[in-house]
Amino acid sequence: MIRTALEVGMTKSPEAILFWVLAPLSVLAAIGMLLVKKAVHSALLLAWVMISLAIFYIAQEALFLGIVQIVVYTGAVMMLFLFILMLVGVDSADSLLENIKYLRPIAVTAAIGIGGLLVSLIGRATISHNAYGLSIANQNGNVQGLAQLLFTKYVWAFEVISALLITAALGAMVLAHSNKVRSKFSQRDLSAARFRGKKLAEAAGLPGPGVYALHNAVDVPARLPDGSAAATSISRVLEARGDVLESKQFELQQSEDESSDK
Amino acid sequence: MLTTPSFEYLLLSPMLIILAAAVIGVLAEAFLDRNHLPVIQLFISVGAILLALIQIYRIKSSSSTSAAIGSVVIDKATIYLQGTILIIGLLALLLISDQEQFVAQASAIPGSREEQESTSKGSIQTEIYPLLSFALAGMMLFTCASDLITLFVALEVFSLPLYLLAGLSRRRRLLSQEAALKYFLLGAYSSAFFLFGAAFLYGISGSVYLVDISSAVSGGYGNDVFVLIGLIFISVGLLFKISAVPFHAWTPDVYQGAPTSVTAFMAAATKVAAFGAILRIFYVVFSPIANQWRPIISVIAIITMVFGSAVAIAQRDVKRMLAYSSIAHAGFILTAVLALNKSGLSAALFYLTTYGLSTLAAFGIITLIRDATGEVTDLNKWAGLGKKSPLIAGSFAFLLLSFAGIPLTSGFIGKFAIFSAAYETGNIAVVVFGVLSSALAAFFYIRVILLMFVAQSQNDSISIAIPSVKSRIAIGATTAATVILGLFPSLLLNITQSFSIFIK
Amino acid sequence: MSILTVMMLICVIGAGMLFFIPTAKTVLVKQISLAISILVALIGIYLVGSLDKTQSGMQFVEIRNWIPTFGINYSVGVDGISAVLILMSVLLVPIVLLATWNESENGRWSVRTFQILVLILEVFMIGVFAATDLFLFYVFFEAMLIPVYFLIAGYGSGERAAAAVKFLLYSLFGGLLMLAAIIGTYVIAGNQIGKTFDIEKLSTLQIDQTTQNLLFLGFFLAFAIKAPLWPFHTWLPDAARSATTGTSVLLVGVLDKVGTYGMIKFCLKLFPEASRYFTPWIIGLALVSIIYGAIVAIGQKDIRGLIAFTSISHFGFITMGIFAMTTQGMSGANLYMFNHAFSTAALFLIAGWMIARRKSANIADFGGLQRVTPVMAWSFFIAGLSSLALPGLASFVSEFLVLVGTFTRYPVAAVIGTIGIILAALYILIPVQRALHGQTLKSNENLSDLDIRERVAIAPVILLIILLGLFPKPILDLINPAAKTVITSNGFSDPVSKVKK
Repeated sequence: MIRTALEVGMTKSPEAILFWVLAPLSVLAAIGMLLVKKAVHSALLLAWVMISLAIFYIAQEALFLGIVQIVVYTGAVMMLFLFILMLVGVDSADSLLENIKYLRPIAVTAAIGIGGLLVSLIGRATISHNAYGLSIANQNGNVQGLAQLLFTKYVWAFEVISALLITAALGAMVLAHSNKVRSKFSQRDLSAARFRGKKLAEAAGLPGPGVYALHNAVDVPARLPDGSAAATSISRVLEARGDVLESKQFELQQSEDESSDK
Repeated sequence: MLTTPSFEYLLLSPMLIILAAAVIGVLAEAFLDRNHLPVIQLFISVGAILLALIQIYRIKSSSSTSAAIGSVVIDKATIYLQGTILIIGLLALLLISDQEQFVAQASAIPGSREEQESTSKGSIQTEIYPLLSFALAGMMLFTCASDLITLFVALEVFSLPLYLLAGLSRRRRLLSQEAALKYFLLGAYSSAFFLFGAAFLYGISGSVYLVDISSAVSGGYGNDVFVLIGLIFISVGLLFKISAVPFHAWTPDVYQGAPTSVTAFMAAATKVAAFGAILRIFYVVFSPIANQWRPIISVIAIITMVFGSAVAIAQRDVKRMLAYSSIAHAGFILTAVLALNKSGLSAALFYLTTYGLSTLAAFGIITLIRDATGEVTDLNKWAGLGKKSPLIAGSFAFLLLSFAGIPLTSGFIGKFAIFSAAYETGNIAVVVFGVLSSALAAFFYIRVILLMFVAQSQNDSISIAIPSVKSRIAIGATTAATVILGLFPSLLLNITQSFSIFIK
Repeated sequence: MSILTVMMLICVIGAGMLFFIPTAKTVLVKQISLAISILVALIGIYLVGSLDKTQSGMQFVEIRNWIPTFGINYSVGVDGISAVLILMSVLLVPIVLLATWNESENGRWSVRTFQILVLILEVFMIGVFAATDLFLFYVFFEAMLIPVYFLIAGYGSGERAAAAVKFLLYSLFGGLLMLAAIIGTYVIAGNQIGKTFDIEKLSTLQIDQTTQNLLFLGFFLAFAIKAPLWPFHTWLPDAARSATTGTSVLLVGVLDKVGTYGMIKFCLKLFPEASRYFTPWIIGLALVSIIYGAIVAIGQKDIRGLIAFTSISHFGFITMGIFAMTTQGMSGANLYMFNHAFSTAALFLIAGWMIARRKSANIADFGGLQRVTPVMAWSFFIAGLSSLALPGLASFVSEFLVLVGTFTRYPVAAVIGTIGIILAALYILIPVQRALHGQTLKSNENLSDLDIRERVAIAPVILLIILLGLFPKPILDLINPAAKTVITSNGFSDPVSKVKK
């Protein structure tokens, strides 16, 4: 069952077709992940890369790994990532300031250098060398084989990982969970605070977004009686994302004429 | 078909005790009254360490490669290193239990009212105790792991708590959080490097066990290119932990940002653990191909020594200075790795212990020098400390002299042992650079001494806190150890000699 | 327990005692430390007196295991050469303590600290000359720097901090190079005869020429910095200018001798072939030191700087005597070390008193002291004459022996060295003439002469200078067998001696 690596790479099976379709796509997605501006897009592209990898794993007989890759990485981690991005990350912009001069060219050179080095080394080492498939390991089934290893040979490491997980949970608690120093604001407190605020106008609550003849959505600010846009009428998050539309363009043409008449 | 795995629980007991203590600590955190937690947690941690030390003593002459189905090797060197880590952990714990350096509420935003309120209420993050226990257990495992997977898991187990602890400083919190983040990110990178290298080594040997990799490497089958890639990437991961140049960039920031007692623990114990693993890997696995990696490690050792000493001169912050000095010391200990002989191993064990203890003492003293805003780490403000407290300043000066390697201190004996071991294997260039960078290093240590004793103090804002009994024990014991091991190094040298055995 | 250990222990105990006396009781502190140093000095005299002169080996030997792992022993013992140097050290300490009775009072730290530092320094001084274990020697050699550093930085004047650091860094640099060489020697020993630091055993090693040359350089550089030899001398004038008088005396009188002592004990003994190889260069350096030190001394305005530079010139003579590789040169060099300590001590001490009275170190500010303060002036005069090697005074005998010893092997060098003597007359007589004789300056009219304490302190020094000038035999008798052993046991032979002593 031993074939050379080169042979494996050139199999004319469906696996090869799969590879040549998916591999370029996943590389593109990986590059795109670095280049796109918005974090959400980047996360989605990353998810795409991970799904492609999972497919490769499955195609190469590592069924369990492939499923785990999807369930854990794409399913859990990436989704969690997206949630977090949506919750907190949207209006926090990345600083694109380069503290170190010429960091970019240096990084690119280093990346190309080490990449080239590795490619050439691995190429030299793989081409015309024997490669082992997973058929021996999978004799009794992929999952069964893995389980056997996990619970016999590597049981110690497997158990010790629990320490890692507890640490992670504990760390999350330390960094995020706060013991209440004082009682939460009640409805009453909030109401009182509103009336004691600086402006009495705010006591009644913030204005809703704009409603116009041509457009009616959360991304257009309302207009105040004096003709200016009400900044407080729009969600802060939309503003940070730059998804706010100018309210003027949705006003009736007539009103503009009126104002010009004066 | 499945054979039940068997464990030698007695041999694993030191680690298991610490892990159990950590878990009990977490449970206590969840269920017990917050007001009593500090005492309970301290009791649990100290008790566990003492118990583990007793167990270490009980197994001191045993050895086994199958304590945990080949994942752990218990030999003399392991037992010594684990004992050292535990002792350092115990002393660091005494420093750490002076909670004043830790943030009252880590989740409160720096500068917020919530932070002020929780500080004035005197709340305490008692989670640091289980975190510390986890770190200790990870370090102990790191010194005895005999397969690459366990090694990697251990690396993460002791790193993760340290990342967290580094971010919990009470004062200058933003700096502390930045340090933690930096440490975490760079640590993650280095772990990735380690894993990458491990994959290659698995590739050539078909096994993750060090003993198999060793025979694959020496047998010459497999693939030389893969061996080298694996070796280099694994080394990157490990050298990062000991902060060898050019993988040192995190050290000064983290040492400065972390709460000082955590820095003390990190500087002392991480070095012991990481060097334990490095020594094992290079002595056990890669010694057959020493000719291939010796030049690389020699160059790294030399650069590390010289760079650490040279850059330390420019530092104006005492914690940063000690950080660079610890980089230089990493270079010194690397020369023992190069020696690849029994005296090299023994010298490294000696050096790690004495350096660890002196470092604990030095950082412990730093926690005492304060002004209205907390610890004073700006060296300029240390001027005239000798007049204010001759005892504290004198002890600190003595510790610096030990770092510099002046005779009659433990640091000198350590340097001598290491350099003579390296010389034995013909690494004369490393030895010469070693002594020259010692001279360079002496310059900034002396400058600090001069500052404390001779310079006029510009302001009287600094004061020396009266140390609590716990700190007093920790600082006193470690300083005394530096003195005693300088005068009578045989006390420890005999032990390191008989414990410098790695088995495969 | 060897008498040498006893001497060191007494000093240690003394320093420990002082630690428990309240800082405020300065007089008591001084009295105790003086008493202890006198006690040690008496033991030192007894030690030298009871030394078996017919024997050239080590005496009063004590060997104890210290760090068996590395084969390091606490082993002490003396031969003639080291016994004389120990005597010199222990005699100087009480003299210095008495002579500079009040000097420690305006330091940065307490008088008590000063006295403790001096006593600790005395331990190391005895130890460094008594050690017969290379490692032990190195430990004392380096440890000595610390008390001196604090003595300069804490009690000196002017740019004391900078001077102290300069001194320390120079010495440390040399010391660490020596450490590398020591490690090299130790490893070679480990390969050949087993791990040891015993100097006698180390001298039997077979080391190839290249390695030997490198190791020799490691040792020699450390000693040349210590001695100090041109061009490694620049720390000395700064240190001498900034240190208190007492510290300067101990620094130049004793510590610097460790450099020349080390050349004899280690460079020649452990690396005879390398010594021979480097001899011409070292003689050259020694000559430069002699001439350079003398010329710069002439130009000095600061009286302490002057004495420091004369010492550089004198150390040139000593080094030349050592590397002439003749018995006479060796004996002369050893005697020179002893004599130089006392004549320099006298010069420094009296200069210190002059400076303290006049509040100026500038030679030009003195004048006509002879008339106002006759005792002080005369003492300075005699010490100065000894320094320029006037026949009948101590230094003459040694300088003569050095030159004769050198002449038999390196006539040209000896002749050039003689120029140093002529220059010496200039650098001593010009300041003597300016400061002591001539018109008494107005500002100097009211200077007081030496008081009883100062006279008691300086008298034995002057006496010793004169006595040793007339009867150098007792000291030479001690030195000669050891010096001969050094020369012959290392495979050097005297050229046919033309001049008999």
